[in-house]
Amino acid sequence: MMDMQVVIRVLAAAVGTLGFGVLFNIRGKKLLVGALGGMFAWLLFELLGGVVANEPIRYFVVSAAASVYAEIFARVMKTPRTTFWIVNLIPLIPGGSLYYTMSSAVGNDFELFMQRGVYTLELAAALSLGIVTVAALSRLIKKSRTAKTGK
Amino acid sequence: MVVFFGRQYYGGENQMTQELLRCIVELCEQMVCSGAEVYRVEDSIERMCTGYGAVRVDAYVTTSNIVVTAEMEDGREFTHTRRIKSSSVNIEKLHRLNALARQITATTPTSEEFRSKLEQAERVRTYSFWEQIVFYAVIAGSFTVFFGSRSLRETAASFLIGGVVGFLVLKAEKHSVNKMMVRFFCSAVFSTLAFMCLHFGLVDSVDNIIIGNIMSLIPGVGFTNALRDLFAGDTMTGILRAIEAILLASCMVLGYIAIAYIYGGLAV
Repeated sequence: MMDMQVVIRVLAAAVGTLGFGVLFNIRGKKLLVGALGGMFAWLLFELLGGVVANEPIRYFVVSAAASVYAEIFARVMKTPRTTFWIVNLIPLIPGGSLYYTMSSAVGNDFELFMQRGVYTLELAAALSLGIVTVAALSRLIKKSRTAKTGK
Repeated sequence: MVVFFGRQYYGGENQMTQELLRCIVELCEQMVCSGAEVYRVEDSIERMCTGYGAVRVDAYVTTSNIVVTAEMEDGREFTHTRRIKSSSVNIEKLHRLNALARQITATTPTSEEFRSKLEQAERVRTYSFWEQIVFYAVIAGSFTVFFGSRSLRETAASFLIGGVVGFLVLKAEKHSVNKMMVRFFCSAVFSTLAFMCLHFGLVDSVDNIIIGNIMSLIPGVGFTNALRDLFAGDTMTGILRAIEAILLASCMVLGYIAIAYIYGGLAV
């Protein structure tokens, strides 16, 4: 049975993603698909919680999965991949972690600051690695496809 | 028929002219402005020029300029340069421009047709000023909940502060104020408002209010695009975008730290 807290977080992620979709002027069905992408990304993150305890590794897996989602729907809906790519990953942005790093900097707690700062960077790196892996793979697939059909 | 990068293009009746190249560059400028990845824009330029009969196309695109030279079969060369100044993500516009670029490559219309189609594609609906402010507020509110706040007051405070931040960001965008200044100033404003709420006992903690508002200002898109450009082999643009994102994030952090120090000094 799913925890109520998890449900709240997943819904909040969906609404937040939707908000960004509006600011980026995504319209119609694409807005819905984008918001759902953000929601699924966070849902996956929560579900993986039981399997992998390490957060950066979960970040990597989820960001790769969200990127694949973006690739697939960009093809299905015939739109530039940027459309879904920029909104799907929004719940994963380590804003909370960044804030606690800042607040420990203000609190003059150097050790805690370093610890949290490194953790924030770890999360950001894991997130980027997921994006980059899928981007590289998709280029590879595209290239091998054009190499076959181009001749 | 032209073979280009292993693909075949059937050039239409219309051959390249300076006016057509200007249209192509204008289309691509708009794409960059709306948030396209630069390697895709370079790709679009090459395809369109090839469609108009160019045998060699050299396009160099970064987030701040476009340089294109197209060489024709008879040795004539067309070149055009553009400096790109402002940019704001506009996905609907990008979607339309992208479709238009494909259509142009396939049909190679005259420059008059090209221009009218371009104008049509640029006329996209955007959400109104107030709608956008509401969504800034919604983003701040929902991420306050997302990051663990379960208090209605905190969420409401975050929602309202988010609206104020949205108002400032949009006004600043209109008058094209430097982005870094905007981040610094907005971050200072939301921190001040959050600490005021705390001071007057409206909320128990500022943490989640500030996190919610950080989320709406964080340059996540810039960073994502930077990575993708880097990996697509566009080192220059990737670095430019990454540095921009890091600077913007730092400005935002500084805005908060400045206010937190002042408040700490006042409170103690």
